[in-house]
Amino acid sequence: MALRGVWQLKKLIVSYCDWGGGSRGIRAFIESELPTFKEKNPQLEVVTELIRGQHPHLKGFYKNKNERVVCVKNMTPEDILLYATRLRNALGRKVVKLKTRHVTKHPSVQVMMATLLKHSLFGGSNSSL
Amino acid sequence: MAHRRCLLSLARHATAIISQKKMPPLSAVEVLTQKSNPAITIPNSELSWFSLWSHSRHFSSSKSEDSETEVEVEMEEASDVEAENDNAASDLGRDYSPEEKEAEAAAIGYKVLGPLQRSDRVFKDYEPVFAVVQIGSHQFKVSNGDSIFTERLKFCEVNDNLILNKVLLLGSPTQTIIGRPILPDAAVHAVVEEHALDAKVIIFKKKRRKNYRRTKGHRQELTKLRITDIQGIEKQEIKTDRKPLEAAVKNPEKIAAAV
Repeated sequence: MALRGVWQLKKLIVSYCDWGGGSRGIRAFIESELPTFKEKNPQLEVVTELIRGQHPHLKGFYKNKNERVVCVKNMTPEDILLYATRLRNALGRKVVKLKTRHVTKHPSVQVMMATLLKHSLFGGSNSSL
Repeated sequence: MAHRRCLLSLARHATAIISQKKMPPLSAVEVLTQKSNPAITIPNSELSWFSLWSHSRHFSSSKSEDSETEVEVEMEEASDVEAENDNAASDLGRDYSPEEKEAEAAAIGYKVLGPLQRSDRVFKDYEPVFAVVQIGSHQFKVSNGDSIFTERLKFCEVNDNLILNKVLLLGSPTQTIIGRPILPDAAVHAVVEEHALDAKVIIFKKKRRKNYRRTKGHRQELTKLRITDIQGIEKQEIKTDRKPLEAAVKNPEKIAAAV
């Protein structure tokens, strides 16, 4: 998750409960693997939060003001690390089915296509060589 | 019963193969049960003989354990004989300790890991050059500043520089360089933007009137690459010097060289 070299995940909130059994994994994660995760990602602000009586979750805040919440109830520390890495690896964009696998602003290089010309007459896309 | 049938099949094999060195079936079985490595001691013709034996897999003279171990012996032989790719595939679960294996797998996916970006000015303006690049089994027509979604590339992290080796075509407004099938000197630089999961696809199977209904969810793992640079072709420098004559002269030469 780096758009043009800029990391997109700003803040990660690790919420857990100190009493509940579903938080066992995340408590172990906080002790064992969270420090290394923090070191690997110095650009990321990681906060641990205690929420009593509720299921544990990871909240990620992205630069496009998107929030992604992942419930990590009853998960092993390795799984939680996987989800945290996924949050870090992703952009904040909404998860939609992809229209195309190739996103470009300049579809044509060589040919000045007649259709592109027409579009430019209507003041549309750039006609590029 | 099974023993008798096996011996019969063995006998049939024995009679069928005339050119090979003839060993009586029982002794062959004994040799294999001793778990000796025939690959080392016996010359090539007998190796093939043994491989034929191994295909029938009916060495049931005594215990099933022996046949299993023999199967294991075959498997080891097969893996030694065949490419190491199979071993690599079985190890694909974890732990690529040798970096050579990473390089191999990267070659399969036609990418080479460069170092991580540290204050490199990689993101340039649009240049009117395109390339047709292949990653895995998919081909893309790519230009500077495009983004591409590919299958998850294993050995790269986010913000890594990649070099895509398999370039099939290069083009600019004045020149086209066609590879047969690859252009050896061309390189396309890309940066890994994200590793993410695609949207969930629900796979629903139903057979009507048969009380059969299955639902399965699937999220494909994707990697988004941003193309930063295309090398291997002359790019027109718009603002500074213009060298159209030299480019035209080099046109036929370059195509001949690439071909």
